[in-house]
Amino acid sequence: MFGIGLVQGLYTTAKRFFMKKVTQRYPEVLPDLAPRSKGSFAFDADACISCCLCSDACPNGVIKVDYSVGEDKRRRLELYRMNLGYCLFCGLCVEACPKSAIVFKTDFDLACFRKDDNLFAWKGPLPRPAAAVQAPAAADAEAVPVAPSGGSPTAAGGGS
Amino acid sequence: MGTLNDLFLTLASAIRGLLALWGFPPLLAAAVVDIADFVLVAALVTVNIIVIVWLDRRVAAFFQERLGPNRVGPFGLLQSVNDAVKLLGKESIIPVAADRKLYKAAPLMIFTVTVLLYGFLPYGKGMAPVDPDLSLLFFIALSSMTTIAILMAGWGSNSKYSLLGGMRTVAQVISYEIPMAFSMLGVVMLSGSLNLGAITEAQRGVWYIFLQPLAFVIFLISSLAELARSPFDMTEAEQELVAGYHTEYTGMRFALFFMAEYGNLFGVAALGATLFLGGWQGPFLPGYVWFLGKSWLLVLVILWLRWTFPRARLDQMMKFNWKFLIPLSILNILLTGVGIKLYQYFTAVGR
Amino acid sequence: MSDSTTVEQEDALETQEYTLNLGPQHPSTHGVYRARLRLNGETIVSCESIIGYLHRGMEKLAESRTYAQFAPYTSRFDYLAGALNSWGYALAMEKLGGIEVPERAEYLRVIVGELQRIASHLVMVSSMVIDLNAVTAWMYAFTAREGILDLLEEVTGSRMNLNYIVAGGVTEDLPEGFTARAEKTLDELKSRLDDFDRLVSGNEIFLGRTRGIGVIGRDLALEYGMTGPNIRASGERLDLRKDAPYSVYPRFDFEVPLLSGGDSFDRYYIRLLEIHESVKLVRQALGAAPAGPVRAKVPRVWKPAPGEAYAQCESARGIQGYHLVSDGSVKPYRMHLCSPSFVNIGVLPVISPGLTIQDFVSTLASMDIVLGEIDR
Repeated sequence: MFGIGLVQGLYTTAKRFFMKKVTQRYPEVLPDLAPRSKGSFAFDADACISCCLCSDACPNGVIKVDYSVGEDKRRRLELYRMNLGYCLFCGLCVEACPKSAIVFKTDFDLACFRKDDNLFAWKGPLPRPAAAVQAPAAADAEAVPVAPSGGSPTAAGGGS
Repeated sequence: MGTLNDLFLTLASAIRGLLALWGFPPLLAAAVVDIADFVLVAALVTVNIIVIVWLDRRVAAFFQERLGPNRVGPFGLLQSVNDAVKLLGKESIIPVAADRKLYKAAPLMIFTVTVLLYGFLPYGKGMAPVDPDLSLLFFIALSSMTTIAILMAGWGSNSKYSLLGGMRTVAQVISYEIPMAFSMLGVVMLSGSLNLGAITEAQRGVWYIFLQPLAFVIFLISSLAELARSPFDMTEAEQELVAGYHTEYTGMRFALFFMAEYGNLFGVAALGATLFLGGWQGPFLPGYVWFLGKSWLLVLVILWLRWTFPRARLDQMMKFNWKFLIPLSILNILLTGVGIKLYQYFTAVGR
Repeated sequence: MSDSTTVEQEDALETQEYTLNLGPQHPSTHGVYRARLRLNGETIVSCESIIGYLHRGMEKLAESRTYAQFAPYTSRFDYLAGALNSWGYALAMEKLGGIEVPERAEYLRVIVGELQRIASHLVMVSSMVIDLNAVTAWMYAFTAREGILDLLEEVTGSRMNLNYIVAGGVTEDLPEGFTARAEKTLDELKSRLDDFDRLVSGNEIFLGRTRGIGVIGRDLALEYGMTGPNIRASGERLDLRKDAPYSVYPRFDFEVPLLSGGDSFDRYYIRLLEIHESVKLVRQALGAAPAGPVRAKVPRVWKPAPGEAYAQCESARGIQGYHLVSDGSVKPYRMHLCSPSFVNIGVLPVISPGLTIQDFVSTLASMDIVLGEIDR
């Protein structure tokens, strides 16, 4: 009645007992991730043209682009904010950006102790007009995911 | 080598002599030595449990191609200490509807039985702390007391899962005691005694595993069921009953159930080593080293079985026991009897 | 005389039925699924399925996202076979808008889709055996799955919730040297799967737990509209990849396994066979993929003509259908998912009476349900 199947099972486990183990000794040994691996984000503020295509593309309203429009009618990036707590890591923003200003990095240890540490912000490259910047208050931290909105222009500029 | 072998016996007689020198009556001296024996046995139980907890996890990991505990201490050896300290710190939650007396008594009883069992094992020649003539019978009788403790836990928790687990366990343990006892009968017939020390002595020529292979296999299977180890562990089937009879236990009370299970594991393995693998017999090394080594070997075999096989269903397990194992063990007794008679006949004729 | 006394004695032995909730928090209900069981001793008298614990309002959410924005959410329906979900949604969008998919993209879809199917089936067989406490076998299958997930990470960047298959094709081409690494991983997969097979499929204890348990006859399965490996294990040859082929499946040489027992063992074993078939498909697709673009141009602001489209896809669990209704705006008017697991669990209350709790656990595991697509 009981026989071959059980013995074969015992042989299989005994064989695997002596084979090389697959455990990776993290954190002494870091994993070797593929180059395309989606971790957190790298943002190139110089390349950004504040077109807001990324925040339009995002399903969860993660990205908020604060820009100002100068006299030459060109948009200047003031502050680029992302709330990674709501991010799906889908990459729609990376695909949408025409200038590849926002790209994925492969760092994966994004775990943090406080929700505020999920907020990432990059300042724009050019000097900001002193009086006009609407500094994002800490109250902004609870970014409720809304239907995708455009950028929020500052007091100095108009239009969205 | 003789001195190392008799180390504990020499120590015991030295203590007795010393106490007699100080004017202690012999009865009191014997009592002091017994207390020292008990302390040693308790220490052995504790050390065994600590090591088996670590070994279980390490061996399981190695079978599964991973490393197991390797951070807490060298090779993760302090993992059991970690677990014990963690369990000590847990809150003691007693369900409101539980029967408090039964609920609290069950883990105490089950662990007491485990410690008692270790007292009967022959660690070396003349080194069984308690050595009645029928020590094997005592061993089996005591190990049946775990059934009562499990039923107390299952009933006293006042939870459906616990009750189901408790009832399953009682059915399983009581049923499998029969083939276990019958398989040991073959060994008793060969050695002519129920005393564990005498059985070990009788294996001086050849170990009983070679004379009684069938009985060894039956003993192994039924002891797995007695211990409620996989593949017969539906009593604590996490995937079905959450945790069976110890679902409602937390902290140190849960730790006592845990320790009792691992303690019994070694106890039964040691019994198997005594009955079938020749106990303390062996060249070069002291007797107790051989005894412990053989017990550990059987522990490893039991762990190997646990981590390879899935769980059997309760009624299939019962069917297997009553319709297959028991007839097989009776057959074993028959064959042993016939074998003994033939052997006697041939040796008588040869003379 | 003695007969009537025995009958009286039997009548006097009354048992009481009791209700046991299996779930929603339970180590083996494969998600937050609740089964309300009426038990007599250990035998089930009746079973009631209660779902909804994972309802996230996805179909309502679809009405406030644009078509492209909803695509990442589709992977979260059946999170174990996310790429196949995205494929179904992409098919529906393409049907709605008349989008053509380049040929290379079809081949890449097959590669990633079948790799995802392998990963999903590995989860099913391993979670089935771990419900029966064969922990080592579970670990072997999951280690094999790690290799597949590493491949998927190389191509798409994510191990789960890939967001790779989109309307118009796929997002990116394969990286350099992918074929060689894929072949190596598939060979390792075969060796681990052989170990798993040896450890489990012939094991007498496992056979005793699954043979003849939870039998779903062919007629019953057809009556309840089951699809996927569950019905193929009951003897009905129904596979969308062969019966109503989409994408480039007609060009490949593969079999659809068919078993006729309809018990839990057949439902488990057919998935092992399907893994081997998927490996064949991946190898063929890797070899035959032509060069070319991988994504058709879909306008950023896409307003399909008012109308509706229903597209089906053979997911790991059965036939998954997406119904998209457009009113001419950028956001769908209605998105409905016809999920295979939702249909498959309908048969559980019919086959449970007479099973013990242990058998019920084994049967539930063999049905391979994912609550994400049941509750949406």
